[in-house]
This record gives sequence, structure tokens and C-alpha cells, in this order.
Amino acid sequence: MNQSHRYFFAIVALLMIGTTRLFAQDQCYVCHSAIGDTPSTLFQHDVHFKKEISCAGCHGGNSQMEDQEKAMDKKAGFIGVPKGDLISERCASCHADAAKMKKHGSSLPTNQWEGLKASVHAKLAVSGKEHIVQCSTCHQAHGVVSPKDPSSPVNPLNVVTTCAKCHGNAAFMRSYNPALPVDQLEKYRTSVHGIRNAKGDRKAAECASCHGSHEIRGVHDTKSKVYTTNLPGTCSSCHSNAEYMKEYKIPTDQYERFTKSVHGVALLQKHDLGAPACNSCHGNHGAAPPGLSSVSKVCGTCHALNADLFSSSPHKKAFDERKLPECETCHSNHEIVAASDKLLGVSAEAKCSQCHSTTQNPKGFESAKHMRMLIDSLEISEQHARSLIEEAEQKGMEVGEAKFKLRDVRQARLESRTMVHAFNLPRFTEVVNKGLAATSSVAEEGQQALDEYIYRRVGLGISTLIITVVAVSLYLFIRRYERNQR
Amino acid sequence: MGLGKKIYAWIDERVQLEGLVEFMGKKYVPVHRHSLWYYFGGVSLFLFLIQVVTGILLLLYYKSGEELAFESIQFIMSKVQFGWLIRSIHSWAANLFILSAMIHMFSVFFEKAYRKPREVTWITGMLMFFMALGFGFSGYLLPWNELAFFATKVGTDIAGVVPYIGKPLMTFLRSGSDVTGATLARFFGIHVAVMPGIFTVLLSLHLILVQAQGMSEPMHLENTPEKEKKKMPFFPNFLLRDLLLWLIVLNVLAILAVFFPWELGHKADPFASAPAGIKPEWYFLFMFQTLKYIPAQVFFLDGEVLGILLFGLGGLLWLLVPFWDRKSSRGEQNQAINYVGLFVILYIIVLTIVGWVA
Repeated sequence: MNQSHRYFFAIVALLMIGTTRLFAQDQCYVCHSAIGDTPSTLFQHDVHFKKEISCAGCHGGNSQMEDQEKAMDKKAGFIGVPKGDLISERCASCHADAAKMKKHGSSLPTNQWEGLKASVHAKLAVSGKEHIVQCSTCHQAHGVVSPKDPSSPVNPLNVVTTCAKCHGNAAFMRSYNPALPVDQLEKYRTSVHGIRNAKGDRKAAECASCHGSHEIRGVHDTKSKVYTTNLPGTCSSCHSNAEYMKEYKIPTDQYERFTKSVHGVALLQKHDLGAPACNSCHGNHGAAPPGLSSVSKVCGTCHALNADLFSSSPHKKAFDERKLPECETCHSNHEIVAASDKLLGVSAEAKCSQCHSTTQNPKGFESAKHMRMLIDSLEISEQHARSLIEEAEQKGMEVGEAKFKLRDVRQARLESRTMVHAFNLPRFTEVVNKGLAATSSVAEEGQQALDEYIYRRVGLGISTLIITVVAVSLYLFIRRYERNQR
Repeated sequence: MGLGKKIYAWIDERVQLEGLVEFMGKKYVPVHRHSLWYYFGGVSLFLFLIQVVTGILLLLYYKSGEELAFESIQFIMSKVQFGWLIRSIHSWAANLFILSAMIHMFSVFFEKAYRKPREVTWITGMLMFFMALGFGFSGYLLPWNELAFFATKVGTDIAGVVPYIGKPLMTFLRSGSDVTGATLARFFGIHVAVMPGIFTVLLSLHLILVQAQGMSEPMHLENTPEKEKKKMPFFPNFLLRDLLLWLIVLNVLAILAVFFPWELGHKADPFASAPAGIKPEWYFLFMFQTLKYIPAQVFFLDGEVLGILLFGLGGLLWLLVPFWDRKSSRGEQNQAINYVGLFVILYIIVLTIVGWVA
């Protein structure tokens, strides 16, 4: 036995002596450990055991009494095995009391109980007598250890399986929310987070990272960390933390860029719940960046028509061959700004000119140039028609129907913008021509209204003149008549 | 014999026009410093006739119904030849008609022309004035636009406050508990059939009485010897002057209709919230504004109920003025009546301006 071994045994002996001395007075532990029952065996490793908290702390009674009847006397506060909500209430009697926690030298927060009560798990269980989840459901009863302990069921590496005990159990979940999927763990294992977690990376996001630990709210609860408008903030709590993400070597500006994007503005500023959040493109439990060739499919979940047109366009093959991410190449990824006609064409700011020039892919160059010219002419003619209608309206003309027709023009512009994704000049021209016909009809009505306005003024002038002449004649006639009467 | 005279002779031979001409020829209109006011009765009649003609023309295209009314007016204004002009003249003439009738009513009031034997003429005139307000209120809803919808809602709500009869009256007016397409149909029926029918009877009676009794002369002329009184023949002198004024009114109406076309606004949406600062038409504004100033509770009475009762009582007293102003009927000067009339005019003008600006 070398010196280090001697020190080790000395420490163990001291600890055992100390523990025995302490629990020599805890008659509950003395008897139960003598029987060797499971609770007392587990309790040896319990963090409460190490903090010198007696069994009576949770079960009540008098742990100092050797006499079993006196120790477990109900008059002495013995409650036996707590059931239902009493379990959590026993835990909360200390864990929600800052003074008690301080006395035991703990710096743990004391809001877990309040959090749990506000959570979706605090709903009544099917029995109708207790909450669905108690503290012991996740933390166990007698072998409670710190979450940092690798054996803790709520350790970052274990928590996914702990949650999945219920959430992966279809029969159990059906009793509460039949619509809720039960394959979260399965998906999670395919995600970047899940793969890293499985490899022992404690920093990789697990259930509690996104859903919270005690105050877990339903996804449709506006206070939930994963409610659509809160989700980007939740993801960014890690992904925007450069220090935290340092070892993963990925950018940390996604959230900042997303907030500037058309999607981010719609979701976070206009609170449009239909706008995409991080999970719309990356998935939630199976979160991972979309593959290069599946970008259009992901975007196509919302932009279905554009995606279909792109997939059947000649660009699909060209992009795949050059390993260009589909929609992202022209529209970017996180900072997707509202698409404008400027993206089309061969100008410096146009996207087409990145691959097409007079020497490189010249056919596409000419098509892009032509398409831009067409879409510009549609916009100009729409502006012209709109200005005519506005002018006529300002002059008090009734142009309600023409204004309604302007919707067709707008629709045609939207259609033409969508049709760009087919990268097919004849089809594009057909749609633009439809829009041009609509603008021409509106412009014609606007011009007619303006002509009518002038016609009315001229008509008024003539009729006023006629009436005035008649009135003056009548006046003169009255004067002459009355003069003759005298 | 000229063609005109030939036609006259042809008609005279059959309907004895000579008698009528003789009657009209003997009919004289007093001439004095207040003679101008006599013309407002004729102007009101002229504007009413314009309402009848333009109303009938609008009827050719107007379609009553929640889904049709607004669109049909839109069609009239944009597609029907001169539809915009007819609608605009109808709307402007309606307002000028009420204004002219109001001036006519006050001139009769201040001249005490309601005194014996013209009590019935006054009553028929007043009833027509109330009906003119009813024409305005019912016609306002017909385009089924946003403003009309909410103004009707507020207006019928106020009617609903009248004790005892308020609720049934409101339900009757709305043809249900709320303003809906059924209300529109009811208002349309009232506007184009019920009221014109009653109005025609009242107007005929009013005109017959005016013709039979002649124009009332001011009280200060009653003691003037007949020879010293200035007067002019009703036919053709007064009638020609009437015609001249009608032509001027027609010109004003045409200018208003062309330069300030009556807007159609937005289609009524019963589920939308009322537009901010919604107000009734100008002729109801003084009452609307008064109701705003009355406290919610006055003693044991609800403020709004009190306001409506006061206006009701005021209207009734105004209607019955020939019966309680005995002094004027006896031919004595009654200054109190002038003060009452002056107060009412000032009250209406001030409250209307305040309501308009507010």
C-alpha cells in the first residue's frame, strides 16, 4: 500500500465514521438500512443524505425515537409514503424556501415549484386527483443526485431518455394529447444536437435547453420558450453566444440576420404567426441545416409554386451540378429580404449576372435581360394606370370598379414574379402580357374617368350659361311686363 | 291666332281654364319689406319636385339589399349616363330642401303667419317638415355605406331610448333588433312609398289652403287701409319671380352637384368598428350635440331620455304654437314669440357649428 492509497482509505474511513455518527441518531435510517430495503440503499447516494437531511424530512415522524411506534406516530407528523401532489409539496417545503435552502448551504434557485405549477405538467392527471408530473417523476425519490452527476436522470446526457419515458410512450401520451407526436427522441437522435449529445457533448441542446426544465409550457402557450415568436430568441440563446459556440466553428449571426429578414420582420415585429421561425426550415427535434439539394423543398413547404417551378426548371440541374444551394443562392438564407425585381436581369445588382454574361451562358443572359425588361414594363404600366385612377378619384370621379381591377394587375405582377422561377421566357411573357392587358384596361377606364371629368365641367359651363340666359331673359321679361302693367 | 293661343283655347274649351285664370288673376300677394320670405315656400316646393323627379330616375337602377344597394349606386355613378349627376342632385337637393323648408318655417313663425285662420296650414307645413327630416334619415341609409350604416345605428339607438314606445319603435324601424339588410328594405319602402304618399296628401292640402286663404300679410299692415297696401298679382307677376328664383336655385344645384359630387364612401361592414368621429347629417347635429352635453343622470332621469323628452316637448310646442299664442291670433303684438324663435335659431346654429367643429 503506497502513501496515496493510505490517504484514500483514511478519507473513506473518516467519512464513514462521520456518516455513521450522524445517522446513528437517525433511527429511520438505522432500521431501514439494517433491513437493506431499496429506499435506504438508494438514499445512501442521495444528495439529501449527504446534506444530513433525515428520512423524516420528507416522511415526517420522529427520527430520534428508537421505538418504531413512537417514531412513526402520526401525532409526531409521520405521513408515511407521500402520494400524489404531496410528493412535490414535501420537496417544495424546502426547495421553495430560500432560508431553509441557505441553511443547508444550497445556492439552488427556489422557484422550481412555482415553475412546475405554471407548467403544462401541472395539469390534472387522468385520475383527477393530482398533477401529471411530480418532482420525483424526473428526479427520482431516494437516489436524488445533482443534475451535474452523470447518474442523474436530468443530467444533460440523460434528460432526453427521461422525458421520452412519457413522451415516447404512445399509449400514455394518448391519454393527455393524442395529437402530440411521440417520436421526438427518435428525431432528436438524427439532429446535430442529438448526435453530439449521444457523443457526450453536454453543451448540445437537449429537451430542457429549449423547453425549460420546471416551467415547461405547451407550444401554443405564448409564454412558452418554443412558442413561434419566442423560438428564435430561444435558439439564439446558444447560437448567438460566440463564446458558447466557439468550439463548433459555425457562425453566430443567424439571429441578427434573421431579425432583418422578411421572415423575421413578419414574425417578430408584425407578430405574423404564419411566418417561419428557425424550426420551420431546420426542423425542431430533428434540427439540422437543410442539404444543398433540398433547400427548394424546405422553402417549398410555404413557397410551393416557386419551388415546383424551380424544380422543373433547367436551373435545378445546373445548381445541383455546381453544388449551389437552391433558393439560397439568389435569396440568401437567414437574412432573406423581400424579393424585388432588381434580383432579375443583368445589372450589377441582379442575381442572374452572377452566372450569366455575354460570354458565359449567353442564352440565359439574353433571357434574363428580356425578362427584366418585361417585368419593368409591367410595373411602369401599372404605375401609369394607378396614377390615372388616383387622379380621377381625387377629382371626385367614381372609379371603384377600376380600383378593384387594379387587384388583377397586382395579381398579374405576383404571378409574373412567381413565374420567374420557371426560367422559361415564353411562359413568363405569357403571364406578363396578361398583366399588361389588365393594366391597359384599368388605364383606359382611368382615362375615360378623366375625360368624363372634363366633359362634366364643360357640360356644367354650357348648362349654367343656358340657365343664366333664361333667368336674365325672364328677369327682363318681368320688368317689361310690369312696366306695361303700369 | 298663334299656336300658343290655339292650344290654350283648345284646353279652355274642355276644362274651363278661364275660371282658374280669373281666380289667379284676382289673387294678390302683399308687397312689403319682408316679401322676400314668401319665395321660400316656392323654393321648397321646387326642390321637392326635383327630389321626386331625380328619385324616380334613381329608382330605375337602384337595387335595395345588403349585397346590391352599394353596388347599384356605384353602377349608377360610374356606368349610367348622367347617373352621377342625378344622384348628386338628389343628395344636394335633399339638403337644400331641408334648409329651404327650415327658412320657410322660421319666416312663417316670425311673421306669425300661423295665426287664425291659418292654423291648419301651419300644422300641415310642420308635419311636412318633420317628414322631410324623415326623408333625409331614411334616404341616408339607402347607399348602404359605412357612414350611413353607423349613423342609422346611432339614430335608431336614440329612438330606442324614448320611454315606453322606444324599444318597439326601434325594432319597427330596424325591422329587427339590429341594423341589417332588413332595415335597408324597410327604410327603402318608407322612403319611396310610405312617406311620398303621405307627403303628397299633406302638400296638396297645404297648397290648397295657401291658394284659398292667400298669403298672410304682416300684422303691422292689417290696420293699413286697403288702398294704401302694396300688392302684386299672384299670376303672373309672383309666379314669374318664383320661376326666376327656381332657375337660380337650379344653377346653384348644378354647380354643387358638379363641383362637390356626393361621395359614396366605403361599403357598410356590420362587423367593422364604427369610424371615429361619426356624426349625423347637419340637420340632426344640434340634437346630437345636445345629447352629448346632458349628464348621464339628471335627478332620477337618464340624461339621454331627458334630452329626447325635451326635444319631443319642444317639437310639440312648436307644432302647436297657433293654439297657445292667442295674442297673435287676436292681432296683438307678441314679442315673447320673437324671443323664443330667436333663441331657437341661435341654439340650432351654435350647436350645429359646435357639433361640426367637434
